Amino acid sequence: MSAGRPTGLIADDEPLLRDSFERLLAKAWPELDVVARARNGREAIELFETHRPQVCFLDVQMPGKTGVEAAHHIGRRAHIVFVTAYDTYAVEAFRQGVLDYLVKPVEPPRLAEAVARLQERLRAAQPALNTEALLEQLAASLRTPSTAPLRWLRASVGQTVQLIPAEAIDYLRSDQKYTLVAWRDDAGKAREAVIRLPLKDVGAQLDASQFVQVHRSVVVNLNAIAHITRGANETADVHLKGRDEVLPVSRNYLHLFRQM
Amino acid sequence: MAATAISAKSNGIALLPWQRLLFATAVGASFGTGNGLVPMAPPIAVTVGHAVTAALVVALAFTLLERRPPRLPPWLPRWILQVVGVFLAVPIGVLLPHLLSMAIDIHAAHAPPQMTGLAILIGEGLLFGPWIALGAVVRQREVFAREQALAFELERSELARRALDARFRLLQAQVEPHFLFNTLANVQALVDGGSPRASKVLGNLIAYLRAAVPRMRDRSTTLGQELDLVRAYLELMQMRMPDRLVFRLNVGASADTLECPPMTLLTLVENSVRHGIDPSEEGGNIEVDVAVRAGRCGVRVTDNGVGLATHGSGLGTGLATLRERLQLAFDGDVQLRLTEIEPHGVRAELDFPARQAAQ
Repeated sequence: MSAGRPTGLIADDEPLLRDSFERLLAKAWPELDVVARARNGREAIELFETHRPQVCFLDVQMPGKTGVEAAHHIGRRAHIVFVTAYDTYAVEAFRQGVLDYLVKPVEPPRLAEAVARLQERLRAAQPALNTEALLEQLAASLRTPSTAPLRWLRASVGQTVQLIPAEAIDYLRSDQKYTLVAWRDDAGKAREAVIRLPLKDVGAQLDASQFVQVHRSVVVNLNAIAHITRGANETADVHLKGRDEVLPVSRNYLHLFRQM
Repeated sequence: MAATAISAKSNGIALLPWQRLLFATAVGASFGTGNGLVPMAPPIAVTVGHAVTAALVVALAFTLLERRPPRLPPWLPRWILQVVGVFLAVPIGVLLPHLLSMAIDIHAAHAPPQMTGLAILIGEGLLFGPWIALGAVVRQREVFAREQALAFELERSELARRALDARFRLLQAQVEPHFLFNTLANVQALVDGGSPRASKVLGNLIAYLRAAVPRMRDRSTTLGQELDLVRAYLELMQMRMPDRLVFRLNVGASADTLECPPMTLLTLVENSVRHGIDPSEEGGNIEVDVAVRAGRCGVRVTDNGVGLATHGSGLGTGLATLRERLQLAFDGDVQLRLTEIEPHGVRAELDFPARQAAQ
């Protein structure tokens, strides 16, 4: 490694792409000394700390830590170029953030442009574009929205942990610090399972248009209700399809069924 | 939708629906007119007034008993209650206007023609009232049956719509651009590097695309075709992550010609790669077992990837759609079970009838 040569790091979890990118880069930027090759975000961070390269080419989707997470760690200590396969979300985010990015399969003319910009910045000793604020913004725009309702519940059925589809659940009932899940298997048989989470945590993640809380300790699937009978003293009972048990509706939740 | 159904029903609970009001008035008026035409009858206005009031009271009783009491003992059908109610309502309905006549002129109200008129009206009411009530009950049953047939029809078309919907979603969800371009980048890398593997990889990609590109008409494929698709997909993924993916397909003989809805196995295997192996730095194994036993086909896809501890990974949409499609394809005679395995990983088990695919 000669003192004057710029140094670089390449991170991609797919070995073929890592190697071919290195070959393309060698053609576009023969002076660049690729000092490190990483297989995931965690390795990219470790190798960055060891070698302190001036330029990092980071694949966005990598196991463990993503390219964006690795970039966040590296900060402005290196010029970062993101590499991603077709992905409108990511590309849009890069464009808005005026960050350097390349789209796979990498086209040599696009790579040459990116290299020219990097060389210019290195020569003029300009600071890296990837400011903390930009990376923060990028990470936020790429984060998968976790607000989507839960489609499957992980629950213990006997000795096994099973995934129960949300639509197969008849109702949930809190049982001290556990939650009892009354559901139906594919054969339509009524089953029960247990989740080690309090009812309010589970209930909050379910589709609110399908599941309603009818009592402090009961959340019921509207599709599982056969009928509702009024009781004395502003209460009611929920009768379920194909189940004998009757669920209580407390006064606070009675308004849900006023219209019916 | 529920709200409109409810409001439509509540019209029926109104004191007297207008059709019934008109009908009762017409029946009362015709009997009243007839009674007023016989010799020695009271004035026609009186007979018509009496008869119409009586008919309205009877109709009111009939309507009330239609809904109340809300529950009846099992030995008492509602129609009997309604007919008996009508029978009892006739004298009440006749005597009610008589009270009014008495209030106006107590002597005239008890003159022989009036008394005869009352008796005739009660007789007519007891004779015809229950029959008219029975007729109304029968007519209502017919309307109810028609409504129910309509509801069934609606439910059927809803099912058909869901089947279509599931197929459309399948078509939309087919080739993910991210997967396609990443794979193409790999193919390009192989071609640029002059690798002899390039042709084999392209072959796999073509096999995958051929199966995955929309085929509206093909309702089902064979298990053999599905397995070819799964093999092509897994080989592509193994090229992309050679150090992280190992797979094995164990397929019993005679499984190849069985019917299998398109993309069934592929969805399970893709799910294992996407949510089990790909997020893991170390990667893992995927094992596909297919066994035919006692007229059932059992498919098991097991991976030892990261498991399902990580929420919000998008798991579900593909599987939920698959579950829906399978339910429709096998008429509910299918089971899909997902279980976590120790120390980490997921097993998907699918059980469906072993049917030979139509040639």
